[in-house]
Amino acid sequence: MHPQLELLLELQDLKTQRQALATEGLKDVEFEVFDLRPEEALQILDTKIDELAERLDDPVRSRFREVSESVGRAVAPVLNGVCYGCYVAVPTAWSSEVGRNDRVNVCSHCGRFLYYVD
Amino acid sequence: MQLRDFFSEDAIKLDLEAETKDEALRELVGILGLDEKSQGILFKMLKRRENLGSTGIGRRIAIPHCRSLVVNRLRVAFGRKPGGIDFDAIDKKPVQNIFLIVAPPLEVSNQYLPVLGKIAQFGKEQDIPERLAEIQTPEEFLALLEEKGV
Repeated sequence: MHPQLELLLELQDLKTQRQALATEGLKDVEFEVFDLRPEEALQILDTKIDELAERLDDPVRSRFREVSESVGRAVAPVLNGVCYGCYVAVPTAWSSEVGRNDRVNVCSHCGRFLYYVD
Repeated sequence: MQLRDFFSEDAIKLDLEAETKDEALRELVGILGLDEKSQGILFKMLKRRENLGSTGIGRRIAIPHCRSLVVNRLRVAFGRKPGGIDFDAIDKKPVQNIFLIVAPPLEVSNQYLPVLGKIAQFGKEQDIPERLAEIQTPEEFLALLEEKGV
């Protein structure tokens, strides 16, 4: 896996966790079952998100921020040849390629970074 | 929705080899059948959640959980360590029963939160720690979930 893609996955997973913790539902469960203080957790996550974002190459970081601001989730999984960000098929050649996560791919339709899930 | 439907026998390990919290997380992630890189990313995410606060809910039960892009559907696993593992649990007691839950960021049927809630509810039942300690096979574990109707 391309190191930048690995960073993007970690970053997106953290942002997903942050978003979930900021909304009802998981926030309540985390507090009631696990005694987690959401406000403190959000601060820790924000710091980690910033740290990870700094490790992205400049063009990748710029795109990540740009796409995050415009559509929310900047990294989308590809399942059965479809980008699960915009639900448009990605080129067949990409989907069947060995080592397809060894480079940083971008959806030509929505601009999200793509991660091929086996 | 029944918890029983989410567990498969190959994701139930009644004698974890792990001696530490990190080893236990790695061992449980390892039985999900993901590639090595995905396992590493998932482990890091679970660790980051643990760093926010332990998922050891007391009464010898822990429920590590996270969402991650590396899985394409909700996955659960159960691991038991009869001797216990220091999990920095709420009650400070060693954890013997670990329920792992991972889900993709987006799910069609949104099962992550209900499954998390049901496992927490299951873990709070008075007799569960003793009943889990008596289990001899994965089938018995599944039968216990059915019996409790969660």
